[in-house]
Amino acid sequence: MGFLSREKISGTQVVGDKRISTVQAPRPQRKSFFFNLYFGTLSLLKGMRVTARYFFRPSTWVTQQYPENRQELKMFERYRAELTLKYDENGYHNCTGCKICDSACPNNSIKVIDREGPSGKQEIDRYIWRMDTCTFCNLCVMVCPHDALEMTGRFESSVLDRRLLVYQLNRYAGATKKNIEKSKDSESKDLLLKSFESRTFYEGAIPLSTSDEKGIFDGRI
Amino acid sequence: MSWEIQTIADRAAGATSMAEVGAYLVLGVVLGLAIVSLMGLILNYSERKICAHIQCRLGPMRVGFHGLLQPIADGVKLLFKEDISPRNADRLVYIMAPFISLLATFLIVVTVPFSPLVQIADLNIGVVYVAAVSGFGVLGVLLAGWSSNNKWSMMGAMRAGAQMVSYELSAVLALLTVVLLSQSLKLSEVVLSQEQGWWIFRAPVVGLVACVIFFVASCAEINRTPFDLAEGESELTAGFHTEYSGLRFALFFLAEFVNMFLVSAMLVTFFLGGWMPFHLGGLTGFNEVMDLLPPGIWFLGKVTVVVLLFMWVRWTFPRLRIDQVMNLEWKILLPIGFANLFLTSIVVLLDLYLF
Repeated sequence: MGFLSREKISGTQVVGDKRISTVQAPRPQRKSFFFNLYFGTLSLLKGMRVTARYFFRPSTWVTQQYPENRQELKMFERYRAELTLKYDENGYHNCTGCKICDSACPNNSIKVIDREGPSGKQEIDRYIWRMDTCTFCNLCVMVCPHDALEMTGRFESSVLDRRLLVYQLNRYAGATKKNIEKSKDSESKDLLLKSFESRTFYEGAIPLSTSDEKGIFDGRI
Repeated sequence: MSWEIQTIADRAAGATSMAEVGAYLVLGVVLGLAIVSLMGLILNYSERKICAHIQCRLGPMRVGFHGLLQPIADGVKLLFKEDISPRNADRLVYIMAPFISLLATFLIVVTVPFSPLVQIADLNIGVVYVAAVSGFGVLGVLLAGWSSNNKWSMMGAMRAGAQMVSYELSAVLALLTVVLLSQSLKLSEVVLSQEQGWWIFRAPVVGLVACVIFFVASCAEINRTPFDLAEGESELTAGFHTEYSGLRFALFFLAEFVNMFLVSAMLVTFFLGGWMPFHLGGLTGFNEVMDLLPPGIWFLGKVTVVVLLFMWVRWTFPRLRIDQVMNLEWKILLPIGFANLFLTSIVVLLDLYLF
């Protein structure tokens, strides 16, 4: 393919007693009339082949007929709609209440309240997520050192009151799955399990503005 | 097989009473109107569907079965929209421009040979008429841009004017090669001259080259995407019809779609045999099998293929820059067109037809 090889565009030049490297701006190459005509037409036909492939293959069309296919619609892996804590089959989560997601959240949509467990270890008490201010940037999921969070594809979250968009994500306040497994004897395990408190989706503290958050100016003097 | 050509104008000329002449007149007008409005609807829908599928979308799906009633819904919407004209617009010209644009379209519909029996008028200078009247469309666009009192409209109109006038040269040169080959300016005779084979095949190479030149040039003349500088929305909002709304906008829209149909019809008439079935020289048996389909069906089938080609091209290629557009016309298409015309005259002189 000699005719497609590029000119050498970089080199070195001696100026005075210094060698400096130079880069030449790439120039369009002048070719003969018929050369341009032939290869131009060829590249146009290549483009048309691509679009023809899309046209004739319905499997490449991506539009979803949403309300009709609601039953069988599966959202895509990478779709980000609702933040959730991951739970294993026994219902334990991995969240230790370390608040890294809290401080990573760019618009303060996450508020993590921790407590002291029976063994003096830090535990999650309430994990509050405000969907109304969330931009679904995924930073909380990315920074979580315990792999406790995930974004799911449940996108039907419209409500009639903005206050209903403040969720509490943890189902229980208490130790993580790891800490329960690590407990030495059944006595300390029971102690951990006894300290569990149930939490539901809508029972957290519901701040109506972020004025009670540290470092946020709400306009009041 | 000998074809009997009878246009509506012929029938009116042979009429015995004034009432009959009037009836044929009404028939012609209704036929023209029906073709224009029907083609507007059909092409609008198919363009949207095809562009959607090429872009991995579904297109209109809600109104009617697979969105079949969408063009009607859009038309009704445009009818009820407010018709705004800018404060400092040149009122008369502003109102007139869309009608001039559509008028050019109507005037060409008159000569299109749909089949031996369906043609409104068959002028003996049909080719000259088509070339002249298609220039009328430029006037509509220029007036619209000028009278809107808007710099973007003006810019779009000027680009459109420069582009359409330039590309008309190439288009007419391509038509001239066919005039040389068929030795007639009458559209029905151009079609009849292709009884041995369509010019795109029958004239060795020159027919194909002329066809490609005509395709590119007419693509530019009707301002479709590789050449849609007149409305390039990323730089000129909507070009010459920025200020238009409601029904007047719909008229521009309609003219654009019907122009695409007409350009395809002309390409079919000159290069793909018009309503003439696919014939191959002296193969009588083969030709008779081909004659089983009526000529009207042949015409519509060929036009469908060419229209699909236009849409395919439109939704594949990006828009050219104005200097590239001018380069393509004056440095590439025009020299090839002249060389092709010269070669065609040699073909005609030496009788070098393929069959």
